[in-house]
Amino acid sequence: MKKKTIALLGNPNVGKTSLFNRITKLNQKVGNYPGITVEKREGTIKENGNEYRIIDLPGTYTLFPNSLDEEVVIKTFSNKDLEDYPNLVVIVSEPNTLNRGIVIYQQVRELGLPAIFVINMEDELEDKGVKVDYKKLEAYLQTKVITTDARTGKGIKELIKSFEFQVPPYFGSLELPAKYKNALEDAKKLFPLDNEYKTWFSLAQEDAVVMSEQTHHEITKLHHKYGISAQELQKEESILRNKIINQKLGEIIQKSENKKLSLTEKIDNILLHPIFGYIIFFGLLFFIFQAIYTWSGPLMDGVDLAFASFGEYVSTMLPEGPLNDLMVNGIIAGIGGIVIFLPQIIILFLFISLMEETGYMSRAVFLMDRWLKPFGLNGKSVIPLISGVACAIPAVMSARNIENPKERLLTMLVTPFMTCSARLPIYIVIISLVIPEESFLGFNLQGITLFGMYLLGIIGALLSALLLNRIIKSVRQTFLIFELPTYKMPDWKNVLNTVVEKSSGFLIGAGQIILAISIILWVLGNFGPNDKFSNPEKYIVQENPHFTESQIADEAVAYKTEYSYLGYLGRGIEPAIKPLGYDWKIGIGLLASFAAREVFVGTVAVVYSLGDEIDIEDDGQKKTLLDRMRSEINRNTGVQTYNFATGISLLLFYAFAMQCMATIGIVRKETGSWKWTLIQTGFMTGLAYLTALIAYQLLK
Amino acid sequence: MQNRISLNKLKKGEKAKIVSFDHNLPAKFFELGIIPGATIQIMHKAPLQGPICINIIQNNTLIALRVTEASIILTDKI
Repeated sequence: MKKKTIALLGNPNVGKTSLFNRITKLNQKVGNYPGITVEKREGTIKENGNEYRIIDLPGTYTLFPNSLDEEVVIKTFSNKDLEDYPNLVVIVSEPNTLNRGIVIYQQVRELGLPAIFVINMEDELEDKGVKVDYKKLEAYLQTKVITTDARTGKGIKELIKSFEFQVPPYFGSLELPAKYKNALEDAKKLFPLDNEYKTWFSLAQEDAVVMSEQTHHEITKLHHKYGISAQELQKEESILRNKIINQKLGEIIQKSENKKLSLTEKIDNILLHPIFGYIIFFGLLFFIFQAIYTWSGPLMDGVDLAFASFGEYVSTMLPEGPLNDLMVNGIIAGIGGIVIFLPQIIILFLFISLMEETGYMSRAVFLMDRWLKPFGLNGKSVIPLISGVACAIPAVMSARNIENPKERLLTMLVTPFMTCSARLPIYIVIISLVIPEESFLGFNLQGITLFGMYLLGIIGALLSALLLNRIIKSVRQTFLIFELPTYKMPDWKNVLNTVVEKSSGFLIGAGQIILAISIILWVLGNFGPNDKFSNPEKYIVQENPHFTESQIADEAVAYKTEYSYLGYLGRGIEPAIKPLGYDWKIGIGLLASFAAREVFVGTVAVVYSLGDEIDIEDDGQKKTLLDRMRSEINRNTGVQTYNFATGISLLLFYAFAMQCMATIGIVRKETGSWKWTLIQTGFMTGLAYLTALIAYQLLK
Repeated sequence: MQNRISLNKLKKGEKAKIVSFDHNLPAKFFELGIIPGATIQIMHKAPLQGPICINIIQNNTLIALRVTEASIILTDKI
């Protein structure tokens, strides 16, 4: 028997996703719509001998698209040959905003698709003061009306049964305004096969989303001929529908006081308070930030330990040789380097999903929009920016909530400027090398510098946004309008589902790239073109006959790094980084850092022949590394390598450069474009180079 | 006598009926219930000309919008 395709459609905040989870019992998969990064969620169920494919369409208020998400909806409905074209549309609404649900229901029916109508959150009917005459509603909608409660599962069985409901044909479409009659008659010639509403719908399209460029061109011509605009037609339709629906609903629904709203108002009086609102918001952010740092600590150590011991185990199991080393130091260490971010990502998404579920997220947007708007960002950018202080990877992913494509892109482009936790070890090492441990006005100078670096990250992000805002052309008019949903208890199933989905998305998406880069770096660092790489001991003994065995062993590691392909690359880029005050050894550190910043400390330790197992949290080991770095002489300039000028130059370079393969990977995935990913990498690294150059040349 | 005033100038707690607006207002505003004739109440205002939160009484929903758009929406204060 043929599989039926059922599409769930409805306004945002009606519990559509909860309903989808209930119907599919989490037997679902998440992918992307081809070519764009709008998530596509679908699931399959078997019930009473029938098989259904359920598609969860993005939440929307109308079929006229305002964002990429919404374009998906109309694309799905406009081509009968598509696999996703539904056999039945399920319109999901909630008691309070039935009229908005009916608007979209009517659009669907008038475009010729069969649909049934669901009132979800039926438990809130009473609280929200709504009484519905279902018989009358069914008669008005000319279809079956079902009530459900996605949280408890009430009504779900009945809903699934209704997938077999034979929807009767729909009569009485919207009476279109007479003043557009001539334009409509002309448009009919373009679409001889379509009904009147469908023609109108095409006439009211702003972009060529669902028609050929040619047809769209004809439509634009009609717009000019009659002096009308797509937006104007959409507004006319909206006003007309609302008027008629509200009139009708007056007979069908009885409304009394909305208790939910009065509770929400009380909470909002505190959470949106001009002063306390901000205190609570920043307090909450501080708490999340702390949680990401402290809760993830032990978990990350655990991951680290597990992969280290797994690596050790594998290294004893496999015969010694390059394959063993590739497995242990290339692949296992590479995967470990991805998994180690998981705890932070899980915790961050747990909080974000809780904020979404309870309805607090839109309050944060409300509070912050004023402060981010001047930079071309939007209130919703606050989540990615703040999350970026922990790790840019989940932060970039959290920009998905921003509807305006330009503001979303801007946010993703500037988020990596925020001082992420991977920069911290490098800052600590360099600051302790070049900033004196003195106090200034009673503050520790090193502490002030570190704080300054965090500030620099924020300034970098905001100023870049300001600059990019002028360069990037806006596809759509920027405006902000959003609904503040009533507060609710979170649906834990949804929370869990979101966290699992986002985390595994990260593991698989960014993971592939990180893994590939780790393997490439391993190969470059572990092979060399000549004898100096393969037989370092011979040359070391020749140069330093008095070395003890352990000195030779340490020196051999350094020697191998120097004469590996990576070492040659380091020396290869030396001319480029010389003006910044760096030598080839720092060059190797920089190159390795492009996989991930935190590699710098380890790489530098290897280059300075201290072995690669330096623990920066161990004071003794840290001192050894610092002493060794202090005594290092730059052979180009003949002075101390890590002097004040080089130090500041390095700090600036690390503050701005895009040196994280994982972030590049995730930006590529989220923007769906290599162009923007490369522009971002180029912009950040160029800015890093420029500021480091200026700083070094001024200070040296 | 009626008080014609743009939406951004209303104070917290005040109620008004939407009369008309500049034709530049995106269609999305209509879809969220900001249509001529709708009665609204100002619920919250973010400081320093930040967003305004209104209750669209008929729908019982809270909608937030920026001052830029609120200033082109004309209302009659009730």
